[in-house]
Amino acid sequence: MMTVDIAGIGELIMFAVVSILTIVFSILVVTAKDIVRAALSLIVALVSVAGIYVLLNAQFIGMVQILIYVGAIGVLILFAVMLTTQELKGGSDD
Amino acid sequence: MNIVDIVYNPWFSGIVGLILIGIVFVCAILAVWLERKFGADIQSRIGPNRVGGRYGILQGIADAIKLFTKEDIIPAKADRLLFVLAPIIVLGSGFMMIVAIPFGAIVIGDNVYPIAATQMDISIIYLEAVSALSVLGIFMAAYGSNNKYSMIAAFRNTARMIGYEVPLGVCIIGVAVMAQSLDIVEIAKAQSPLWFVFLQPLGFVIFFISILADMGRLPFDQNEAEEELVAGWGTEYSGLRWGLGLFGEYIHMVLGACIMVLLYLGGWNLPKFLTGIFVLGSLMPIFWFVGKVVAIVFIIIMLRWALPRFRIDQVVDLGWKVLFPLSVLNLIWAVALSLVFDMFFGA
Repeated sequence: MMTVDIAGIGELIMFAVVSILTIVFSILVVTAKDIVRAALSLIVALVSVAGIYVLLNAQFIGMVQILIYVGAIGVLILFAVMLTTQELKGGSDD
Repeated sequence: MNIVDIVYNPWFSGIVGLILIGIVFVCAILAVWLERKFGADIQSRIGPNRVGGRYGILQGIADAIKLFTKEDIIPAKADRLLFVLAPIIVLGSGFMMIVAIPFGAIVIGDNVYPIAATQMDISIIYLEAVSALSVLGIFMAAYGSNNKYSMIAAFRNTARMIGYEVPLGVCIIGVAVMAQSLDIVEIAKAQSPLWFVFLQPLGFVIFFISILADMGRLPFDQNEAEEELVAGWGTEYSGLRWGLGLFGEYIHMVLGACIMVLLYLGGWNLPKFLTGIFVLGSLMPIFWFVGKVVAIVFIIIMLRWALPRFRIDQVVDLGWKVLFPLSVLNLIWAVALSLVFDMFFGA
């Protein structure tokens, strides 16, 4: 009985951490000034969503979430960001 | 408490995982040494020969001490957060892979106890997913260090990874279809008499090339082509941060060799009459597995010193126009072969 309680509390804590991460980084996606930081925040939010899937006992969907949304779509977004015009900060001397 | 309870105890798994991380770290140091010494041998140079006796075997430790004591420089215009986090992500992706990889197995009678920190149903998908995280680390390093060479390196790295993750994944699907499992332990067990390299030779070749590209090993190391890009994504890094990134890459190399052995080269499987010998027999699968991994690492290092580097457009062409169609062909072959097997030998 005791072990069940500890497991339940651990799950609750993990859920709190993962959901707060999802919310915070989702807000950062729309508020970030830097487009690359926005894209990276989106990726962290998607990883946190994968964590929620794993907590719901859907490990397969969680892993596929990381595989597709982080490994493929996130990287594609970063690739597209790199194709936009951006200037390096400072460095007029080089 | 019998042995099954001990093996599936989380504390025991945690300790095993920590030990495995230590072992893989040492293996990565040895791989750095091997690369320098063996590369020197191939090119008729001497290579490391002072530290640790005639063969310079402690050179890696000396290098590590040097990296520890160097000054840690962060460029003034760098994005500090991304710059600091990037090597951690590159190394962390390697550590997350260690969790799921079985490094051999102890065979006692009919029972096989894989030496892995966790047992998952879907470990091969997990490995594929977390190994793709390292490309994010490299991108963050390049963008964070605010350097044009690093940006070009990240651009090339991303283009290459997009192209080569696809054939890699399709090859893994072929293996999973044939083993009828996504668990890497089951995949290794399924190759008990016949290795998958004999059943899917095309798949093995594609997987080998793709995982070379995935690890960023020559002839696919356009992201740190020294002659063009200074040091690629690590141009602005120094000291221990650079060392973390470097170790991340070598850990990826060792783990890639492990995955190759597990998926295609039979894993730890040995015939029954060999594993039946009392104590030696239960440990022999580990040596058999490690021996194959070392052989693959040797081949990877030899390729580095033997082959020239491709241009990035050639690499992307190879990935999309050659390897991807061939990997789909291999998947069709694997499915057809499994169906035929089921028809003749299935239940």
